[in-house]
Amino acid sequence: MSQPILQARGLTVRFGGLTAVDRVELDLPEGQLAGLIGPNGAGKTTCFNLFTGRIKPNEGKLTFAGQPIVGLRPSRINQLGMARTFQNIRLFGELSVLDNVLVGFHGGLKSNFLSAILRLPGYVAEERGMQRRAGEILELTGLTRLRDEPAGSLAYGQQRLLEIARALATDPKLILLDEPAAGMNPQETTGLAALVRRLRDELGVTVLLIEHDMRFVMKLCEQITVLDHGKVIARGAPHQVQRDPAVIQAYLGAGEGEGVAS
Amino acid sequence: MPRNPHEKFGLTALLKPGGLLSPGALPPAHQTRRRDTMLTIGACLLAALGLWLLEGHASGYVVHLTCVGAIFATLAVSYNLINGVTGQFSLEPNAFVACGAYVTALLTLSPAEKEASFILEPLIWPLSAFSIPLLPALVIAGLLTALMAFLMGFPVFRVRGDYLAIVTLGFGEVIRVVANNAQSVTNGPLGLKGIPHITNLWWSWGLLAVCLFFIVRLVHSSYGRALMAIREDETAAEAMGINAFWHKMLAFTLSAFFEGVAGGLLAHLITTISPSLFTFFLTFNLLIIIVVGGLGSTTGAVLGAFLFTYGGEWLRVVEEPMQLMGLDIPGIPGMRMVIFSLILVGVMIFLRRGILGRHDFSWRWLLASLGLGRGSKA
Repeated sequence: MSQPILQARGLTVRFGGLTAVDRVELDLPEGQLAGLIGPNGAGKTTCFNLFTGRIKPNEGKLTFAGQPIVGLRPSRINQLGMARTFQNIRLFGELSVLDNVLVGFHGGLKSNFLSAILRLPGYVAEERGMQRRAGEILELTGLTRLRDEPAGSLAYGQQRLLEIARALATDPKLILLDEPAAGMNPQETTGLAALVRRLRDELGVTVLLIEHDMRFVMKLCEQITVLDHGKVIARGAPHQVQRDPAVIQAYLGAGEGEGVAS
Repeated sequence: MPRNPHEKFGLTALLKPGGLLSPGALPPAHQTRRRDTMLTIGACLLAALGLWLLEGHASGYVVHLTCVGAIFATLAVSYNLINGVTGQFSLEPNAFVACGAYVTALLTLSPAEKEASFILEPLIWPLSAFSIPLLPALVIAGLLTALMAFLMGFPVFRVRGDYLAIVTLGFGEVIRVVANNAQSVTNGPLGLKGIPHITNLWWSWGLLAVCLFFIVRLVHSSYGRALMAIREDETAAEAMGINAFWHKMLAFTLSAFFEGVAGGLLAHLITTISPSLFTFFLTFNLLIIIVVGGLGSTTGAVLGAFLFTYGGEWLRVVEEPMQLMGLDIPGIPGMRMVIFSLILVGVMIFLRRGILGRHDFSWRWLLASLGLGRGSKA
């Protein structure tokens, strides 16, 4: 068992009187394909926002790659190696597909703005490297054909793929995917599952994903954490979670015994 | 795209993919870099020849107007960097122009001239005791203005959107009020007179060239992509590792530097400055220029500035008495502003996103449109 890449201890956030995330504990081992599920409003996206620094917890600790990250800027956390996608797609709509991916490399740029303006050799070499790696990422995600299109004009499923491509450009150790399959047709979903697996197997990226498509989650994830009303109610391998009475109750209400749709 | 459903008229529509003027996919920029650099140098030489001819043959009035045009183009391009490219709607350039104008003028005015101007309260030492040439004065003015922007950025960029506009508007007014009241430095409402008339075509166009060099290259670098990413979606940009605060500061400070230098040149063109010159109306005019040109387009900012400068003068015709179909129409003062406003309304109705939208000039686009170069279907 490897060292957890992301560790949450007693993570709590309150919005007014509502405790959106309540003492959440999480240990995400490096190289795992993990899932975070739960009914609507369970606090899944809030968890992602906490991990990536977009909102600050009221209580609790977060450790990423051995370093405490509570209170850091989102850009700093990203530079440490945590990337994410957004549930409500947030691409740079007027920028081309290629530029969206290139933006992802900017956080790792070493040249300062003056050497960029003066096109000093160091910057030119970096820019060339970024262009090449952006080409590779577009190839991996199957978006090469669309590289010059404005991101806002892509089909829904392609926009989701571009979100992943852009996140990959930041060279992440851990990638958080917020409902990557939402709005995709079955064929696209199959392609997505293959892509996510390749991220882990070939690039060695740890993946944590939120998804409502249960078939997708159950087939893909090795470890699943279930949230309800901000609390972790179950965790384990897919087949264990599926049979867990607390999970069934959270999804279907008390007294039903059908199990989670699979 | 869903965000601009009205973009079906005019140049913007023609420039869109599939539009009449759209040459289709352009070759990647890095393939044509050397050719483009040569073309740019050639165009600069041609422009220099044009300026030389203008200086020798055109009237003083046209030369003056062409200088004003270049200075406004510099201001517009700088202002567009923060407002259009980075998408931070700010309203303070009048403060930066004022700062640059006052600093430069105070540095270049001779001690005798200063003593003659400051009649109510003498100018504080050491400013009263020396003067320096224009070029170092401009650099100092630019750096001081940039420093002011840098310090201003810390409180200002804590807010966004409408709030940012209001806060920066406040700062702009503060500077004007300071200029009005700090008599021992600015000579108060009397202003500074007798500033040497040094700015000519070469100074003003030289500054425009330097400004374009820096800003166009910044916009077309990784930093420019980061700035545009902040405009498109700040949350996503932060999540992709871009420190939005420092990048806004970069755009803000760089634009302030050029606005300060342009202010200095403006002072040495009109030779008299006073606080009333740097009211919100200056900012307002610049805002019109960049919105009409196309917010976010550097080419649009330059185009807008020259249209604004020359257009305002050409429209003087409508204020003169004229005979129309046998009717004697007396000259109506202020008529040109009415016509000007109507034109603005027209532009904003038919070209929602300004004349150029967010399109920018590039040699690749021009050559491909003309059916030349690697961009065409050969």
